Amino acid sequence: MATSLPSRRRFLTGAGAAGLSAMLSGCVTSVRSGGGTAGGAVTLQSNLSSPQAKSALQTVVDAFNSRGGSRVSLNTIASETFRTQLPTYLTSANPPDLYTWYPGSVADAYAKRDLLLDLDDLWKGPDLSRYSAALKRLCSTRSGTKVFVPTTYYWWAFFYRKSQFEKWGVSPPETWDEFLDLCDKLKGKKVEPIGMGAGGNTAWISSSWFDYLNIRINGPQYHRDLLAGRHRFDDPEVRRVFDRWDEARPFLDSKSTALPFQDATTELLQGRTGMMLIGTFFADAVPKGGLDDIDFFRFPAIDPEVPMAEEAPTDGYFASARSRRTRQTKELLGYLATAEAQELYLKGSSGTALPTHPDAKDSGTALVKKGRALIEGADEVTQFFNRDSSDELAPTADTALIRYLAEPEKIGSILTTWQRDAEKIWGK
Amino acid sequence: MAVLEEAPPVPASRPPRTRRRRGAATRVHPVVVTFVLLPLLIEGFWVFWPALQGFYLSVTDWDGISAAQFVGLDNFREMFGDQVFRDAAVNTALWLLLFGGLSALLGLGAALLLQQERRGVGFYRAALFLPVVFSLVATALVWQAMYQPDGLINNVLEGVGLDGLTRSWLADRDTALYAVLVPALWRQVGYVMVLYLAGLKGIDPMLHEAAKVDGATPWQRFRHVTLPQLRSVNAVVLSVIVIDSLRSFDVVWALTQGGPYHSSELLSTYMYSTAFESLRLGYGSALSVVIFVLAFGVIASYLVRAFREAD
Repeated sequence: MATSLPSRRRFLTGAGAAGLSAMLSGCVTSVRSGGGTAGGAVTLQSNLSSPQAKSALQTVVDAFNSRGGSRVSLNTIASETFRTQLPTYLTSANPPDLYTWYPGSVADAYAKRDLLLDLDDLWKGPDLSRYSAALKRLCSTRSGTKVFVPTTYYWWAFFYRKSQFEKWGVSPPETWDEFLDLCDKLKGKKVEPIGMGAGGNTAWISSSWFDYLNIRINGPQYHRDLLAGRHRFDDPEVRRVFDRWDEARPFLDSKSTALPFQDATTELLQGRTGMMLIGTFFADAVPKGGLDDIDFFRFPAIDPEVPMAEEAPTDGYFASARSRRTRQTKELLGYLATAEAQELYLKGSSGTALPTHPDAKDSGTALVKKGRALIEGADEVTQFFNRDSSDELAPTADTALIRYLAEPEKIGSILTTWQRDAEKIWGK
Repeated sequence: MAVLEEAPPVPASRPPRTRRRRGAATRVHPVVVTFVLLPLLIEGFWVFWPALQGFYLSVTDWDGISAAQFVGLDNFREMFGDQVFRDAAVNTALWLLLFGGLSALLGLGAALLLQQERRGVGFYRAALFLPVVFSLVATALVWQAMYQPDGLINNVLEGVGLDGLTRSWLADRDTALYAVLVPALWRQVGYVMVLYLAGLKGIDPMLHEAAKVDGATPWQRFRHVTLPQLRSVNAVVLSVIVIDSLRSFDVVWALTQGGPYHSSELLSTYMYSTAFESLRLGYGSALSVVIFVLAFGVIASYLVRAFREAD
């Protein structure tokens, strides 16, 4: 008992001193450095939490593990949690090795802080070296280092049901005026012409409208510059986007900002809405066989002078610079880049994504063939609002766009507020 | 505790008897010390230390990745010009008033109704208390389904011919905050009821008997016997309500995430979205400091007054 006193006191003093010094130095904000080599399985942190995508990725992981080389364990996180925790994962001392995420400006922002593993040597390999030039550019940082391995991409368009369009006696439009005519006709048939699905937890869907209108009116280069902070959201160019949106707004479903996109998809399938601007991921919520009746048309041209760009977000993987298993991680990334792995994944998923490997076969349905042709024929490709800017800027867009849909007459002050909010993010 | 034991060594000239007696009086058994110190250490490491770091972060500009930069009181200065912060503060005050006031009133009312031991009263008590047991996020999901444009609430309104009242409750800026308030209230009432039930049980029935004999009406008995006797419970209920309303987060986040366009934003949700969505951890910490000061200020001032009255 007597000996316990001084030792406890010393312990307390020591603990207090350690705590105090760590506190004073602001340990929580300090940047740790790690890296090195270790054994064990590669951890793959995935945000693909929809059942089909999750099991499809599990199949790929199992196939990799059965090859007898390095091993990988899949760790699936709810996508919302994943998004907010990603910076924490990447900056922790002993981070997961590999992550599902996006190339382009999002990856570039992390690479600038030396958080991503350099993959230049991997890109010289037999598979990645044959990827398209556009993908190579997309997966490089501004300084030219490759930090990303793309595996699939998908496309956005107006999706509709062929049988419903036949029943209503309408056909897909090419130009903005034809598009408005079509909406008018559907409205006359007591159908809500356009579904959206920007309610619930999926307010970000509204960004697709902003992206496409801006790309069609001001062009893709202006769009990218705007999102990078080289233009202002209260510029007259951006105002023109909303003037056009005003023309289409009367045709939007009254529940546009009340239903999440999954419910809006149901409305489309049940014929309550005529069409919907959405990415092919909505197919995850479509019952088997329901896809046969689905077709799409590209967002109509508004200004014939502006090159026709399409939104084709690319998905894939990047690795942590602090990974202790760089050799094994690169081995896995090499496998994920093969045609075999991508075909395996697409077979298990809803099959509406497209592989990035030039030799990999897509699911071969008419819908997917048409989608591949759309993107390959596009003058330029953009990613999506959050991917072309940053995950931090995206909430400012959600707020501004949902407010616009509810109070369109206040667009002037909405854009001023948006610019101010965006400056706080860009100013970081 | 450690200080207590560090009594200076007693000079040997003193009679040994006194020393033993003094030692017995001040000496705390090491096991007891361990039981006190260990939780304190754990609490200190996992609660106080991070909280102190939160204070430090509130005077920095930090994105969670690069090193934090000291910016002095800039974050607090920014709050003055921040319209969303002002709206969130107003909403929080409104929330405190409605959530706190209504749950106290309804909880007390339910407790008064259900205090007598009648047949079936246990069922009603259990029914009112049940929502407390549910996870608030699960509760929110159920309410979310009811609030849907084609959900239960709109269907019922249409069914009784009140089509004009139907709306997208959670997506309408005029109703979002109140739509979120209802599930939170639904849960809190049961909790407050249980606190008051316990308080009512503690009142000596003789007091009511005496008042009755003196010819007091039921209202007079409630006003002059029951209420004064519940004073100590009121202090607990008030603390619980203030703390619960200032930390209300899960139900709002699950239902609207503070939207549409910040119309149901509370300080807590604004703090979360600033810190973890916009990754402005410095400003987010400054917001949490404000929340802390508010909660602590309200409770401390009330408790000080309550104790002074008790003396």
